[in-house]
Amino acid sequence: MPRMILSGSVREHAGGLGAVEVGGATAAAAIEALQGAYPALRGWIVDERGALRRHVKLFLRGEAIALDAPVTPGDEVHVVAAISGG
Amino acid sequence: MTELLVGTKKGLMVLRGSAGRPLAIAGRAFAGEAVDFAMRDPRSGRYFAAVTHGQFGPHLFYADDPTKEWKQAEGPAFPPAANAAVERIWVVEPGIGDGILWCGVAPAALFRSADGGKSWALVEGLWNLPERGKWEPGAGGLCLHSICPWPGDAKRLAVGISSAGVWLTEDAGESWRRSVGGLVPRYLPEEARKDTHAYCVHNMHRAPRQPHTLYMQFHGGVYRSDNGGDSWNDIGSDRGLPSDFGFPLVIDPHDPDRAYIIPLKADADRVTPDGCVRVYETDDRGNTWVARADGLPRSQAYLTVLRQAFCSDGGKPLGLYFGATSGEVFGSVDEGRTWSTVAARLPPVASVRCGVS
Repeated sequence: MPRMILSGSVREHAGGLGAVEVGGATAAAAIEALQGAYPALRGWIVDERGALRRHVKLFLRGEAIALDAPVTPGDEVHVVAAISGG
Repeated sequence: MTELLVGTKKGLMVLRGSAGRPLAIAGRAFAGEAVDFAMRDPRSGRYFAAVTHGQFGPHLFYADDPTKEWKQAEGPAFPPAANAAVERIWVVEPGIGDGILWCGVAPAALFRSADGGKSWALVEGLWNLPERGKWEPGAGGLCLHSICPWPGDAKRLAVGISSAGVWLTEDAGESWRRSVGGLVPRYLPEEARKDTHAYCVHNMHRAPRQPHTLYMQFHGGVYRSDNGGDSWNDIGSDRGLPSDFGFPLVIDPHDPDRAYIIPLKADADRVTPDGCVRVYETDDRGNTWVARADGLPRSQAYLTVLRQAFCSDGGKPLGLYFGATSGEVFGSVDEGRTWSTVAARLPPVASVRCGVS
């Protein structure tokens, strides 16, 4: 199972956990599974259309990935808040 | 005890203290996040905060005590068929009936809660209007920011949208009709006004004791309706105002003839005119306006007061409070006759509402 690596506000809404193992063969499916386990996360990483929030990035093995990127058991997908704001 | 809920660019400030004196920060929630609007439903005592996280989007929270734990509401969020996402939550308004609340968001849409604000559903009738494709956003986005229930009639509602005008329903949101008669969009060339959809309503409130009376701050123009919003009368021109541009608006809930606005210089220069902070009051339905500035900064003060940053406490005599993007909050306990600074050096203020008074 891929592991979702969480930090900051997203971690707060996942019961304070920094890493959560979830099912799913793509990043989008993994996020959907994550939201299923932690409903308070719904709407935080992706909006209600399923689109990645504009200032959120997903990284796998050091590279930014899109929602349709495949993920495999053992992968660590980092959910990262972009450096933005003021 | 007076309690103010001050939504700022860096969190919700809960101010408490004695009316007429400086208020202390009793609590700060959502530290570092933009709190665009916060209010207390006086029927249930439940507090609401609209929070836009810089990375993770807008979310609505509720609490029984604003200085303690907040819970995330289920929504407002668009259903899949709408193919849209909430960009910002602009206003939460108690409705008529147990547990009924309304919520306005950008892109311009109305949501309804029937469980006291814990969960929200899209009002499809407004969302599916065929005219929607012709609506255009104002500088703050295409936002539904003003919701005016009709006391005693749960089916009647008026909403204000920037910049898509006033919309009225008499069947609890199933069907809607636009009502912009009398409004003059001076920001458009004359020849373009006739068929335009671009009516930039900045703020709108209904007089609770006389529901057919509404007041509106327009994008250049102040208006009053005497017929429930069916048509609008100019009450801003040549009546003592330094400018008829602005955002904030308060109605005295006890007196439908009395309203307050805070004019800004112009759309191209959104600061208090002449470096002087003045609240303007009418007690004759907008026929005349009088400056109420005793105790407010009188010179070298170029403040911006946003549309949700002015409120009353609903009391008698009426208490009034407003906040500026420069971080000050001012208050009056005598219906605007005298003012004092109740808080300063806050982050930019987006919203001020009275929780308890």
